[in-house]
Amino acid sequence: MISGLYTALSGLNAQRRVLDVTAHNVANEATPGYHRQRVELQPNGVASVAAVFAGPGTNAGGVNVLGVTRVIDQFAEARLLRESAVHSGTMEMASALSRVELVFSEPSDSGLAAVLDDFWAGWSDLASHPGDLAMRSQVLERSRNVVDVLHRASADLAQIDQATRQQVERLADEVNVLAAQLAKLNSAIVGSVGAPNDLMDQRDVVLGELAALTGAVARPNDSGAYDVYIGGRAIVSGTFVQEVTGAGGELRWEGDGSAVAAPPSRAASLAQTIADVVPRYQSLLDGVATALMAQVNTLHQTGFDQAGDPGVAFFVGTGAANIEIDPAIAGNPAAIAAAGVAGAPLDGEVARQLALLADAPGGADAAFRSLVTGLGVEVRAAARREVIQEQVVHSAAVEAAAVGGVSIDEEMANLIAAQRAYEASARVLTTVDQLLETLMRTGVVGR
Amino acid sequence: MRVTNSMVLRSTLRDLNGSLARLQDTQADLSTGKTVRKVSDDPGRASSAMATRQQIRRSEQQARSLADAQSWLYAADTALVSGLDMMTRLKQLAVLAGNQGVATPGSREAIATEINGIRDELLSLANTRHGDRTIFSGTQPGPAFDDTGTYVGDAGAVVRDIAPATSVTVNMTGDQVFGDVFEILDQLAAAIVAGDSAGISAQHAALDGAATRLGAAAAEIGARASRVDNVKIRAEAEQAGLRERLSELEDTDIAEALVRVKAQENAYTASLMAASRVIPPSLLDYLR
Repeated sequence: MISGLYTALSGLNAQRRVLDVTAHNVANEATPGYHRQRVELQPNGVASVAAVFAGPGTNAGGVNVLGVTRVIDQFAEARLLRESAVHSGTMEMASALSRVELVFSEPSDSGLAAVLDDFWAGWSDLASHPGDLAMRSQVLERSRNVVDVLHRASADLAQIDQATRQQVERLADEVNVLAAQLAKLNSAIVGSVGAPNDLMDQRDVVLGELAALTGAVARPNDSGAYDVYIGGRAIVSGTFVQEVTGAGGELRWEGDGSAVAAPPSRAASLAQTIADVVPRYQSLLDGVATALMAQVNTLHQTGFDQAGDPGVAFFVGTGAANIEIDPAIAGNPAAIAAAGVAGAPLDGEVARQLALLADAPGGADAAFRSLVTGLGVEVRAAARREVIQEQVVHSAAVEAAAVGGVSIDEEMANLIAAQRAYEASARVLTTVDQLLETLMRTGVVGR
Repeated sequence: MRVTNSMVLRSTLRDLNGSLARLQDTQADLSTGKTVRKVSDDPGRASSAMATRQQIRRSEQQARSLADAQSWLYAADTALVSGLDMMTRLKQLAVLAGNQGVATPGSREAIATEINGIRDELLSLANTRHGDRTIFSGTQPGPAFDDTGTYVGDAGAVVRDIAPATSVTVNMTGDQVFGDVFEILDQLAAAIVAGDSAGISAQHAALDGAATRLGAAAAEIGARASRVDNVKIRAEAEQAGLRERLSELEDTDIAEALVRVKAQENAYTASLMAASRVIPPSLLDYLR
């Protein structure tokens, strides 16, 4: 009968434990990264090993608390991690391309297309009044506008490259901090007694941030620690951390300087912006500038200026960043070669032909329009991809939360069950106590 | 599948966010008046809009060239019409001089003086200026004819682009229009004074040739002016069409956008109400 007391006691302990865990779950219902915990109960007296002399056992009765486990769907979690990494990458790409689109800000009445149109119009006006100094100065003024806009666009693109490089450096610092945190958590988890559920939740949160930045994946090793890999190489092995650096515009391993092969993630998108997106548009912009220079210079050199001398090259430079008006012309409007023949001061034939370059195939206007349209298509596609990926992440998150999330209704029901079970065990305890009391009071032997 | 509070919250927030984003987009359509604000909003339409903008700017430029061409041609036309009147008078004088009835030296003097007077008028007509240049001197800045009646301009053409792939030569050079008319007039006056009837008839014939040439030039200028006028009418209609097309491509249809904004507002309000119903209740409300 005394054993009945202990059976009831084990019941009380078990239900109190269930209550504690339920309270813990409810308190952490909204904590990010928290997975609900569950008390594992096992009836006492079940022989764990079948043996010749195993019987019902002398310690039969009661309930054993095996432990508290985290309820988690590892596959769903891994999927969520992967898709979040990809989403982070698509967000970064969409944002970078939007910034490039802002550099050109078309369609508008003040962008490069409008400035080029004014430039050609200036030549047309000059063709009508080749002897008019005001018209010549106007051509120079409008040429300066074209040059300024090209310079600014080129500088803005270079600025985007600069800013992205700084972001890579900051990302590397963040990655190192997270990796160190993860290693510390690893050592805490390995050295802990019992199931360190909350530490494991924290570690998963850190891993999630690391994955969003670099597409990292984790493999649990035998001791319970996570080994974290980026692109097949370990950044965290147990408690050892291999740091990364972000100098030079891409992530590299500190040890040997080789590049980090990050799968689709924020780091990969930043690297792509620096290595592909910005240089590509910089080179397309240069193409616009060189097309302008080539066509204008060729025609201008067939003309004659007001003094009757043959025209020199109108523009000098190699690309959008360094295009300039030839210094011989820049300060001297009379040097503009508008005439088609020498000795005819009021001939504006070359100026007229220059104005017609506006619609020339392979000219600056066509090249620019193609640049802007291609960019628009790319931006739109990136935005679409981001939206679709966000959808994927949402469904993965829902799937993971379905298993590991806390449901208030469920916890309340568990609370009620635990409370009743506790009451029941307590009632058993008092009943056994009464029985013992009855026993003690009957009979006079020994009194 | 278990449904947890965090899942419900996440889904609800996401849907609200999507609803609000659509509302914001329509709002921007209305407040800026443009549906295509960046090329990425709709690359196809944006590209057409850019091309249309360019065509509008070109046609504005060509309108300026066309106005300049018109003023040139009208100036030449006016000058040549006056010139034709002078030629008519000169031919009358030549006929008069050829009549044997005009015998006295005094009357011959009078005719020659008048001829010289008209010659000087014709010379200044040939040197008519338009703006800062002489219309019959080609591409030279100075006058077309000097005092002796020799052509000192050049053969340059003055071309204006008045419409896409359409250009017009707005000038004619002095020697195309007047030729050697001044020399003819000088010689005619001399022949009249000298009483040289053979000379008079010869110069009269030459004068007729010069008059014909002038007439042909006037007709040519008139034809060009009329052509330019036609192009102008067409160009104005085209420009109006281009602006309309640009508006179609870029501008928001206000009525449609207002209807859309109302519908989206309703959807947003409805999802807010649904969210308020779904998020708060739990078992806690029902346990004592």
